Formats: sequence, structure tokens, C-alpha cells
Amino acid sequence: MIVLGIETSCDESAAALLEVKAGRFKVLASLISSQIKIHTKYGGVVPEVAARNHVLNLPGVLDSVFKEVGLSPQTKKNDRPDVISVTRGPGLITSLLVGVWTAQALSLAWEVPLVGVNHMQGHILANWLDLPANRDIELPALCLVVSGGHTELVMVTGPGRHKLIGRTRDDAAGEAYDKVAKLLNLGYPGGPIIDRMAQKGQADKYELPRPMINSGDFDFSFSGLKTAVRYLAAEKKITSAKAKADLAASFQRAVVDVLVEKTLAAAERHSPKTILLAGGVAANSALRSRMQAEAQNFGFKFSLLPLKYTTDNAAMIAAAGYINKSKAKVAPNIKADPNWEL
Amino acid sequence: MKTQTVKTSNAAETTKLAADILGKLKPGDCLALTGDLGSGKTTFVKGLAQALGVKGPVTSPTFLILKTYPTKHPAIKRLVHVDAYRLEAAKDLVEVGFSDEINQPGTISVVEWAEKVKEMLPPGKTIWIKIKIGQKDDRVFEIIWPDSGSN
Repeated sequence: MIVLGIETSCDESAAALLEVKAGRFKVLASLISSQIKIHTKYGGVVPEVAARNHVLNLPGVLDSVFKEVGLSPQTKKNDRPDVISVTRGPGLITSLLVGVWTAQALSLAWEVPLVGVNHMQGHILANWLDLPANRDIELPALCLVVSGGHTELVMVTGPGRHKLIGRTRDDAAGEAYDKVAKLLNLGYPGGPIIDRMAQKGQADKYELPRPMINSGDFDFSFSGLKTAVRYLAAEKKITSAKAKADLAASFQRAVVDVLVEKTLAAAERHSPKTILLAGGVAANSALRSRMQAEAQNFGFKFSLLPLKYTTDNAAMIAAAGYINKSKAKVAPNIKADPNWEL
Repeated sequence: MKTQTVKTSNAAETTKLAADILGKLKPGDCLALTGDLGSGKTTFVKGLAQALGVKGPVTSPTFLILKTYPTKHPAIKRLVHVDAYRLEAAKDLVEVGFSDEINQPGTISVVEWAEKVKEMLPPGKTIWIKIKIGQKDDRVFEIIWPDSGSN
């Protein structure tokens, strides 16, 4: 079975073709608008906030994804996917609508069933993309979903079955990275920049809080940590590259400490077999290595998500579409839901 | 225009200030917040949401730009929370659906980094709240009420 995934919930316009054989997900092609040079007739390649950029970018991304696999769905009926899957939420309403309407138009024109799926479920399912034949993820699994917009702990009990057990009460971890990078004039996006700088810095140089680390629940808070960095930078007059690297390292240590310790506390309580990461911050080198080491220390299996499937993509949306394929219909009336929480 | 200045010394006082301001609002009003990173905008919005009876945490809208919440308040049915931090131009506020959202009945909106989008905020219904960081945890709120409108 071939599933077409379409994702426009935030900045990225993305499309992917996923082949599902015996329940295993093989990504045939997965493109995001910021990755490829789209032909000029489709407009720019720089992702922006506004939905109009999805309108400009999505047709080119769709076109390219079929071309990459050598399919011509416009003219050949057999080249059309078996199911179309689109992100219906959570996200920014105007951006979601571009994907939903495009998917509805394709479903109607091609007479292919369409299903609307949850973006966060997609992030979790990214862990099963291109999983080698000799590897499986033992369930139940505990997944830390951590990105620019989300920080959540989710118990995964089956394909597409999950329960939210903790979440951020204010800023997402990825947002804290972006804002600290901005405070220190390091540029955007903050995650990779701070990660790189932190490798040259001394992580125990500056003392920063570990918000809610002993709160007894599995919620997070990162707004205060950003404020603490702000005060510290002003008080210690941090301007040199060395001092900035030390502060970046100290900040990263604080974030990773909280994420890892809370995940382990949740694992002790909920006894998963496997611990998983998902979302853009799962690309962070310190988080990946610390979580892997600690999870294994405490006797949990750890399955490391490939870097390319950490950030927003449409292959994960196609996977979510496969899981929910029983709900797919030709030209259904899909309602975008910006607040659709897991 | 009427300007009022309020100093708070901790998060609890900022939360209370948000509830006091809410008492003077009408559906359709827009709170325009300005202040540096770490000045207390998040704390203020959380206080506002709490006073409105919003269920669940009000998380940062920086990434998504705009979030909406149903409330338990008798007159104000919806809270629209916007963060203009990532917007490049004021007109981008229209692109994220701001006008559609604030024109729904019983809605109030709160916009962080409002100085970036000031020309798009509803005239006569926008209350400016400028937050300055004082000594230690002190915050100074300068609240500017419009001539026509809520107060």
C-alpha cells in the first residue's frame, strides 16, 4: 500500500510517499519546502509564517515527491496513492487549511480515500519510519515529544494508541533554545547553534535552575529558565565568545537534565519497555546521548529516531494515515482543528 | 486616553493585576503587551486565563503564533492568545487569521510583542500594557486605556 502524506501545520510545506508492507514503513520520498529548490514558477523556498507560502510551495513539493519516485498520478490512475493523509491539527489554522483543502481536492479528483490525522501522533510514529527489518520497538513505550511548539510525555500502548501523561505548562523546550539564542545574539534557529556552542563550553560554569525537576508530576516549565539566563547574562556581563559558550553549555545541561530526569521518573511510574524521543529537539546531540545512556542504565530499551525524521515532515503524517486508514473516505469533509491535543 | 501605572513585586501580584484588568474589559477588547524576554508577559497572560476560567495550561503561542481557548466567563467566551515575536510584518497578523478570530462574538485577545503589529490592532478597543523590569522581581506595568471602549 502507498500512502501520500501532506503536512502544513506550521512553517514547513511537506509531502511524502510511504510504502507499507507487512505493517512496516518504508519512506519512498519525503520532501520539505525548505530543503529543495522549487522551480521559480512555484515561488520562494524560504518557509515563512504565512499560509500564502504554503499555497506557493505545496504544489511544487507534491510534484517533486511524485517525480522522485517516478510516478505520474495526474495521467496514470495506477500511479495514484492508495490513501492520502493530511495533518488536521494541532497547528496554525490558516496553514492547516492549505494542506486540508489541497488533500480534499486531490481526494476528489483522484477518487482516493483521505484521512485527517494528528501532527503529534505523526511525530511519535516517526520512530517506526525505515525501521530495519531486524528491529522492533517493544511496547508499551514512553515517548518524550519535544519541539519548538511542544514538550510532552506520552505513553504509547499500541500503534496510534497513546495517553498524555505530562506536558509543558508554558514554553516548549525548543522555544527556550530559540529565545536564549536570541538573548545572547547567537542567531536562529537556536537549537543547533546552542548545541554546537555548548560542545565548546563548560557546562558546570554557571548555575541555572532545573524548573519543576522535583515537582512530583510529569509536567515541565521552561519560561523561568529563559528568564534566569537573561538575568545571569546581564549580571555576569556575558559578552565574550568563551563566556557565551559556557553559558550555552550550562543552559543546555539544565534543559537536558530536566528532560531526561522527568522522562526517567515517568518511566519508573509507568513501566514502559522502551523509551523514545520525537520532535525537533530530539535532534539535540546532548539529549540524544544522555537519554540513551540513562535509559539503558535504568534497564529500559532505547530506540533512537533517525535525525532526518525529528523535525516536521510528511512521512510521519503518511504513517499516521496508515494507522487511521479505516477512517479514510473519498472527498470527506475534514475540519482543521488548531487545538487538537493528543 | 487614560494612563495608569502599577508596580508588582512577584508573580502572584502580576496574576492579581491581570484579574483586575479583566474586570474592566468588554468582549472585543484587545490587550497589547510589550516588554523584553523575561519581563513577565507569560505570567500576566496566565493570570488572565486563570481569571477567565480557562481549563488546562495556557502554553506559549510563539511557535504557532495564535492559539484560542474557551473560557468559563459569563460575557467573555473565548480568549485569543497571539505572539507576534516571529512575525516579520504587521500584515502577517491577518495571514494567521487574527481578524477572523477577534471578530467572533464574546472574544478578547491578548497580543505579545504587540509593538510589531500595532497598526493591525483594533482601534479604540486596544489597551496597551507596557511592562518594564525593575529592581529584582519588580515589574512596572504602564496601562494605557483608549478613549472609547472599555473603561
